[in-house]
Amino acid sequence: MKNRLRVLRAERNWSQADLADRLQVSRQSINAIETGRFDPSLPLAFKLARLFETPIEQIFTDEE
Amino acid sequence: MNIRLCNRQLSPLQRRTMQLFGANLALTAVLSLGAHDLVKDLHPSAFLIYFTALLPTIPVIGIVATVGRYLARETDDFIRMLVVQSLLWALGITFVVDTYLGGLFAHPQIFRLIPILNIDLFCVSVGVAVRIQLWRNR
Repeated sequence: MKNRLRVLRAERNWSQADLADRLQVSRQSINAIETGRFDPSLPLAFKLARLFETPIEQIFTDEE
Repeated sequence: MNIRLCNRQLSPLQRRTMQLFGANLALTAVLSLGAHDLVKDLHPSAFLIYFTALLPTIPVIGIVATVGRYLARETDDFIRMLVVQSLLWALGITFVVDTYLGGLFAHPQIFRLIPILNIDLFCVSVGVAVRIQLWRNR
């Protein structure tokens, strides 16, 4: 699953650690999601959508 | 929240889990050695032998419960996945080493080995596997 997390984060000038703090997860989680090695759970995806004030489908796409 | 299992920056849940893990591990070793010495020195009845053999299983159950408690309460899905993967790796390593040593123990006249507790091997393997997983996902 592809995602725009890195772009959205960069637009706000947040580091991975900043985003991890806001989501209450580890920095490793953010890194794994950004690099496509880990797909977040639905609750975390909703948290991301709320944080970036963006619909989930604009953050994640199921294209290969 | 900065989670690094091996760099002493642990969440309260992880710290508590490590403490319980260590305490149960130490208790397993103490009870195993104690039960072994008791049986060797005192030549107790068959009932007492069965009873003392059961004692070290109590902290083993404690370790399983500790791991279960951690997995149920860990809110970070990614870290939980790494821990589960590490547990599976450790299980595999323990089975392989146990099978190998079991073969060697069948020939005590050739191989003089120090008995290794499977639970100790498993716990050490978990620790190494978690460390490798975190290094790979640094």
